Amino acid sequence: MSWFSTFGFGRRRRELQEEIDGHVRMAIAERVDRGETEEAARQAVIREFGNVPLVQDVTRETWGWTRLEQLAQDFHYALRQIRRSPMFAATVAGTLGLGIAAPAAMFTVVDHVLLQPTPYRDAGRLVAIQETNGSSAYTWPSPWLDIERWQAQSGSFSEIAFSARLSGRNFLSEQTVGSEVDGERVSPNLFRVLGIQPVLGRGFIPETPSSVAGKNAGAIVLSDTIWREVFGGDRGILGRVVKVNDDSYTVSGVMPPGFRYPEGSGATPQVWFPIQLGSDDESRSFKAMQYTVLGRLAQNATVKSANAEMALIQKRVAAEYTDPNLREDHSVVRIVRYADSLVTHDVQSALLALLAASGVLWLIAVVNATNLLLARSTVREREIAMRGALGASRWRVMQQMMVEGMTLSAMAAALGIGLALGSVRLLAIELSHTLPLPAPATPDGWIVLVLVMLTVSSALLSTTWPAFLAARAPIEVALKRGGAQSGTSREHHRIRGVLVVTEIAMSMTLLVVCGLLLRSIYSLRHVPLGFRTDHILVANLSIPSYRFAGQNMTETLYRPLLERAQHLHGVESAGLISEVPLGKTFVLHLEMKLSNSTIIAFIKAVSPETQKVFGFQMAAGRFFGPEDTATSQPVVVVNEAFARLYSPDKHNPAAVLGAQLSKNSPLRIIGILDDERQKTVADPATPEVEIPIPQMTPASGFYRLIEGIAMDLAVRTDEPAAEMIPELRDVLRQASPELQNATITTMDRIVEDSYGSQRLAAHLLEIFGGTALLLSVAGLYGLLAYLVTQRTHEMGVRIALGAQRGNLLWLVMRQAGAMLLTGVAVGAGLALVAGQLVRGFLFGVNAHDGWTLTASVVFLFASGMAAAYLPARRAARVNPMEALRAE
Amino acid sequence: MREKHRYRNRIELLQGTLDMLILQTLQWGPQHGYGIVQALRLRSGEALQVETGSLYPALHRLEGQGWVRSEWKQSESKQRARYYRITAAGKKQLAADLGKWERIVDAIGSIMRAKPEESET
Repeated sequence: MSWFSTFGFGRRRRELQEEIDGHVRMAIAERVDRGETEEAARQAVIREFGNVPLVQDVTRETWGWTRLEQLAQDFHYALRQIRRSPMFAATVAGTLGLGIAAPAAMFTVVDHVLLQPTPYRDAGRLVAIQETNGSSAYTWPSPWLDIERWQAQSGSFSEIAFSARLSGRNFLSEQTVGSEVDGERVSPNLFRVLGIQPVLGRGFIPETPSSVAGKNAGAIVLSDTIWREVFGGDRGILGRVVKVNDDSYTVSGVMPPGFRYPEGSGATPQVWFPIQLGSDDESRSFKAMQYTVLGRLAQNATVKSANAEMALIQKRVAAEYTDPNLREDHSVVRIVRYADSLVTHDVQSALLALLAASGVLWLIAVVNATNLLLARSTVREREIAMRGALGASRWRVMQQMMVEGMTLSAMAAALGIGLALGSVRLLAIELSHTLPLPAPATPDGWIVLVLVMLTVSSALLSTTWPAFLAARAPIEVALKRGGAQSGTSREHHRIRGVLVVTEIAMSMTLLVVCGLLLRSIYSLRHVPLGFRTDHILVANLSIPSYRFAGQNMTETLYRPLLERAQHLHGVESAGLISEVPLGKTFVLHLEMKLSNSTIIAFIKAVSPETQKVFGFQMAAGRFFGPEDTATSQPVVVVNEAFARLYSPDKHNPAAVLGAQLSKNSPLRIIGILDDERQKTVADPATPEVEIPIPQMTPASGFYRLIEGIAMDLAVRTDEPAAEMIPELRDVLRQASPELQNATITTMDRIVEDSYGSQRLAAHLLEIFGGTALLLSVAGLYGLLAYLVTQRTHEMGVRIALGAQRGNLLWLVMRQAGAMLLTGVAVGAGLALVAGQLVRGFLFGVNAHDGWTLTASVVFLFASGMAAAYLPARRAARVNPMEALRAE
Repeated sequence: MREKHRYRNRIELLQGTLDMLILQTLQWGPQHGYGIVQALRLRSGEALQVETGSLYPALHRLEGQGWVRSEWKQSESKQRARYYRITAAGKKQLAADLGKWERIVDAIGSIMRAKPEESET
């Protein structure tokens, strides 16, 4: 007991030993002094002293440490049990570990994304104030004049802040090559509204935004990332002058690590500038600057009361819009919790469904472990009875079982926490395509703690409960029964049967839901996309437009870039497109509303070669060609959805050909493209207008909006991506040094990523469903194997009495079949309910799809029967002589 | 197991007086276990032979109560031995024990020495 000494047990033991030894020596010495021989003296003293170990024992009991010692003994015993049957321990610990890890990971993500997504102070009282036309889900940002009125008239907010993204791509430079930053112009009170102060510097001095240069003129606040990466975390940064694009700013603060505003704007590091009002802020026209508005609810206000109050105010505000279209779009104010405004309903329900699935997995794991432990303790009923017969108290036996359960659960907990750490990291990576917020890389401590507690208590219950029962049961009965057949009470079998059926039913539910999602993914993959996805590399370019100020980028950047790319070895064709289909990199969907008509369409800028790269098919007319130049007739191509909606002849979409895009517009429509999927695979195409890049000059209206922000370079090549990418980077670097860091990916990957929540859900459910199936099949196998072992004697007798081996096989299989059927039937019922819950994610498949249900039933039944066959065959092979002799 | 129980019972019977005797012995100066046995035997005129099986549990219990303190020292015969010393709390306890013991002796004495007043025989 070496580890004993660490508690100080060992030292006290040795001291007691020494004390008694000393006593004996002194007694002997005195007798020798009196003239006895040494030998005689020793014997006399030992006789006089009595039983030395007993004296030690009784003395030690006065220390009051016996309880602890017993516990240590039990622990030792538990470890010995685990060593003796490592497979059993591994199964239990593994099962429970999986059960802890899956929900811990899911809970962490859900907690982070849905419950407390924003790290701001008292984030529940932060609200987004959005303007809308009242019927559509689309919301519009607001002009300063509206915000000013709200600030003056509303009592629902303690403060209202607002901000606007600095348009275009921005590069902060210290020396030569700039780092890309997201610039946000914010009202000076924004950080106060968010409740987060800079860790360095004073940030912005709160003041009412005005058109004259205020106290914050020329200030910039840096994010922690920029401060560390560009300035090496220099604490003397305050007051330093830095350049963003070509303008100089003075650093007035550094925000704490992890701070972002607005949330959900990608991973580009942020910087913040104070808003100074300009001439754009003096009207409510199309030219007015638009701001995202954030408010902090006042003490007594709720989202509901704020909505009610703002509805009244907005009636008067909307009346001041002169343009009828704009008045319509800004007629209603909607106030939602800021956190809710970040997460789409789709993602929200996907996460909740996955959370539920992981909860089911936890239940299955606990049930399975309970079953295993129950089986184990029934086998040990006889051992328990024997201990009772030898005088162990019931409490003592239960304590020992409890320590065993505790040891096993501790192993499971350690494993579970390890797995949870790993799976949260995996999940965070997987989720980065789907979630608006970066998911945390470590599980939340509280969640893990609660799960571990729940799991441990369930394991404890299932180890001690049988011990409790056994201790209460009369000892003689258990002892009288034969060795291997001990303690096979009917009640126990029934409980274990019910547990197995529960497991099967829950696995069935998970399997069906997983099947439905897999079928959805299958359907999604077979939607005609309207373009080819194979052998295409896409470079997503952030255009450093400040470098090209005053130049025609079409000539100075895009044309040379395209020519170089086209002449690369192995490139079949290369094209530029402002955003590839299904790409989500360009945050601003250019859904444009032309001021003098009602056309709403996606606008894309493309180069003529794009058709070759993506294989776009024309429904009518032609695509752009070399003949469309800056000096020729300005032309556009539209898609079928556009033609259907805006054709002058409602019955003939093709009539749109040759027409002007809108009244007074010089743009002529020269072709109709087949519809292609634009934002998601699941949604049908919406109207789209494509403009040829060669015709875009600084003079044309679209130039500033599209060219200066984002462009995707798409390249069709047969070369492997790994060889092509470095060459592409080289070409990009030659065009402009900032471009060499562009993300380059394949079109297949972009399509894959666009499946978003369905793919995520299907992926995770594959894991959950597979694990559940494995666990329940293992549970079934475990129960049957145990039953067969218990009934070896009975089987032997049956064979001796003339039963056929086939009969015995049938006997066990029938039992398995009954449990499987019950489980599957219950599970199918549950699956129908669960199917309704995930209806929102299904695509091209019904929530109660017969095929999926049938396939799941067959799959589960087949795996169950396969698991049952092994013990059944063992039963059939029982040698009657051996079975009977074993008694 | 059974034997252990019986042992413990006997200790409990002796407990009150044994503790008192030990504390009284330690009043005369710090002493080790063997010394206590010898002292009790000599002072009682060889009448009392304290069993070591009771002595050591009693000593450790008294130490746990804080009535005695122990330390390792060289004995007269140049051997390392554990010496017990009575504490202030122990002295108070001894006084209380003594008072109680005297009352019991008085009470028992008055019963034993009383003359039968109404004898039936």
